[in-house]
Amino acid sequence: MAEVRKIAVLGLGTMGTGIAQVCAQAGFEVAALEATDELLESGLGRIDAFLRKGVERGKLEDAEREAIIARIEGTTAVEDLAGSELVIEAVVENLELKRALLTGVAAVVGEEAIIATNTSALSVTEIAASLPSPERVGGLHFFNPAPLMELVEVVEALQSSAATTATLTAVAEQLSKRPIVTKDRPGFLVNRLFMPYINQAINAYDEGLASAEDIDVGLELGLGYPMGPMKVLDLIGLDVHRHATEAAYEQTHDTDYAVPPLLERMVQAGRLGRKSGAGIYEYEE
Amino acid sequence: MGDQGTKVGVLGGGTMGVGIAIVMVRAGHQVLLRDTTDQGVEAGLKGVAAFLDRSLKLGKLDADAHAAALARLSGTTEVADLADREVIVEAIFEDVELKAEAFAELEALCGPDTLFHTNTSTLSVTAIAGKMRDPARVVGTHYCNPAPLMKLVEVVSGLKTGGDAVARTVAFLEGLGKTTVRCGDTPGFIVNRFLVPFENDCIRALDAGMGTVESIDTAVEAGLRYPMGTFRLLDIVGLDIHKAVSLSLYDQLRDPRYAPPTRVDQMVAAGDLGRKTGRGFYEYETAGLMGT
Repeated sequence: MAEVRKIAVLGLGTMGTGIAQVCAQAGFEVAALEATDELLESGLGRIDAFLRKGVERGKLEDAEREAIIARIEGTTAVEDLAGSELVIEAVVENLELKRALLTGVAAVVGEEAIIATNTSALSVTEIAASLPSPERVGGLHFFNPAPLMELVEVVEALQSSAATTATLTAVAEQLSKRPIVTKDRPGFLVNRLFMPYINQAINAYDEGLASAEDIDVGLELGLGYPMGPMKVLDLIGLDVHRHATEAAYEQTHDTDYAVPPLLERMVQAGRLGRKSGAGIYEYEE
Repeated sequence: MGDQGTKVGVLGGGTMGVGIAIVMVRAGHQVLLRDTTDQGVEAGLKGVAAFLDRSLKLGKLDADAHAAALARLSGTTEVADLADREVIVEAIFEDVELKAEAFAELEALCGPDTLFHTNTSTLSVTAIAGKMRDPARVVGTHYCNPAPLMKLVEVVSGLKTGGDAVARTVAFLEGLGKTTVRCGDTPGFIVNRFLVPFENDCIRALDAGMGTVESIDTAVEAGLRYPMGTFRLLDIVGLDIHKAVSLSLYDQLRDPRYAPPTRVDQMVAAGDLGRKTGRGFYEYETAGLMGT
């Protein structure tokens, strides 16, 4: 099992910033790659803002914040990732883009480095297949927000070696996460269970099983779920869920993943959830 | 109603009947608990008293409230004793015929305004009202287990349930401190409609090698933030109960997500029913051990 000291994080979007922060907080040296200086600045700024809020709430000392930030080196040059023993890719969910970027990164970090993708909807196996030494490739699927959510899915591609899985699991533990190992199948484990549940909720609502509020209250009070399915859907975004469940349906042809007709109509109407001011529910702002 | 509270008849001295009786006496209602045998009545009354005693010890009830609650409780094996009841809550064995006959028999004895509540979890409220002359008074009131602690009650309208009965029922349940949700007479109502296929999906993910019992429970607890992993929950519910509920919903909905996976049949056949037998998805040191 390879020892990891330096981690390259590709992409400083929502997931990338969270992952870079978690790695730096755990004491790893982090090289964070973005496409432009503006995106880099903005990503690093969001990490700092998140940590400053932690300082305000007394969760960490300001000196710790400085030390964490000092461990993250931002760059727009792939060459600066040299020496990383682990790469975690968290760029947009586009197979060609990921493949092109990782091919360049693989050439810089060498064949010994472990390469992990944070994809949630693409095939880890397909990503691995385009890289040299695909046995050192696996999935490391964080949940949003990465600094707060404990679970990490370690996803085994068809090519992943046992050593790769062991290293990814060990790193996740060093990040104080609770890793679980699962197979590279659509949705991995959590979303495989979650998407049919959300689709069922939309269809049940559409068919008049109960009001949206009563479905939410029923599952929150009846089962102790932290948030009912209609509220969750509005939070993650109807377009985001539509995209994910459609991808799973295309790969499985299992109707539990089929895009519910009401979901399709709501996306068409621009009712995307909280971010657009209306989804299943209406929002003031 | 008034100071004496409502006269409530609870049918069945099992877990749910006892839980519902506790809720009623605590809220100030007069409860007559009916079971078919003296032993059944005795066990039911003891169950209510034991819970109230614990509440007293824990300081959740003061001595006066404890004594008053116990004074509002009595038991009988005689159906005729229920004639003066204003609300009947049925929590007997999950058998449509049995429940329908119990309501029809009581309808002949009770007044014209008496509400008939069924606590069925998987059967049709419409069918349970099927033998009554006035089925408008039958409403599903599905309490969650343990009833004294869980706030939710699903209020279910059968095909013939009247709007007035539903409105009176909701007001009554709110008076008990419950939160209600409304749904039609659809199999599994809201909670089990969602829970049962999710549980079966977890079992199928296990069979598909997507994870282990432990890792799938971790995914559910840490990834979805549900209060308890599915396999831990199924071990508490009991695999035999899960199989029966799944089959009942599958019979009614004919959706394969509700069909219990083969592993459930095998576990039931092997006697691995969960905590109560010492082994289900997990192994337990003491059979029947419940968390304290």
